[in-house]
Amino acid sequence: MKRAQLKIQQMVFMLLAVTLFFVLVGMLVLALRFSGLKESATELEEKNAMLLVTRIANSPEFSCGNAFGKSRTNCIDADKIMMLKKNIDKYDNFWGRETNMEIRKIYPEGNLVCTIGNYPNCNLINLQSEEIHIEHSNFISLCRKDLINGEVYDKCELAKIMVSYKDWSETNE
Amino acid sequence: MSKKAQDQKSKISSAIQNKSAQEELIGFALIVILVAIIGLIFLGFSLRNPQKEIVESYEVESFIQAFLQYTTDCGNYREAYLGIQKLISECVDNGICLDGRNSCDVLNSTLTEMIEESWKIDGDRPIQGYKLEIALENGTEVIPLIAKGNSTKNSRGVSQPFTPLGESYEVYFTVYY
Repeated sequence: MKRAQLKIQQMVFMLLAVTLFFVLVGMLVLALRFSGLKESATELEEKNAMLLVTRIANSPEFSCGNAFGKSRTNCIDADKIMMLKKNIDKYDNFWGRETNMEIRKIYPEGNLVCTIGNYPNCNLINLQSEEIHIEHSNFISLCRKDLINGEVYDKCELAKIMVSYKDWSETNE
Repeated sequence: MSKKAQDQKSKISSAIQNKSAQEELIGFALIVILVAIIGLIFLGFSLRNPQKEIVESYEVESFIQAFLQYTTDCGNYREAYLGIQKLISECVDNGICLDGRNSCDVLNSTLTEMIEESWKIDGDRPIQGYKLEIALENGTEVIPLIAKGNSTKNSRGVSQPFTPLGESYEVYFTVYY
């Protein structure tokens, strides 16, 4: 065999080896990626929940707007939330798949779940009426109009909004 | 050509071939090292999971904004119940609530209870301590410092300036974890 032929053969082997190496690495990466697909989906849901919790208080469905004098940030209108809870079926998957939200008064604290019957003398508004498992939370001011001696005044309490998200690792989908 | 010259030529040719093989080996080794380094970097990036912070800065920021809007049970002749912002002004003016309590005492106790409920530091909780300071623009403290727990190296702190009735105030809140 001539020297040039030997060189070509050497190059072919080298190219084959390099290609095989990258194919194997690619397969390994793909296998790793697909094995963590559910975790990635859960991570995305978690990220969405975190972004949601930082901005949801200022969205039109929740925010106080100008109902309590000047415009307020991180202020949620409790009356609006009770109406939203009543019509929650119209907001199916609006904030993400299986995303649930709960607003819990921190100060004064309590565990009484809010219904149309006991509102506003309650502490917990669960929008989807389902238990919250994994969540992201943020502080908000929960405001409503209240009455004292026949006069209306603005009452704001310290609360936390909790957003739970779908955990894909617990499903068979 | 003499035999001596032929021997010398073959020696030179053999030396050149050896050198070339050595260079190729070095090149191959370099490629292997390079690929291994790239692979390690890639593996490092793919295995690194971003960890959730114990306290996010948005939580501390929102806490300040939320507690400043809280409606207290202290009122004056203008308003039945004052918000924290207005109660701070009332405290600076040495005001008295309608029920006779000192506005600064109400402010202090309300804030202390509110922070205790929001940032619990008992038991195995990750929060180690906190510190709240409310000061006028010139640095004068409105109420004594509210602090609990230990001041650790890891902290999240936020300051929020506000002007409820003309005068400027600054609220500093730090959480240690």
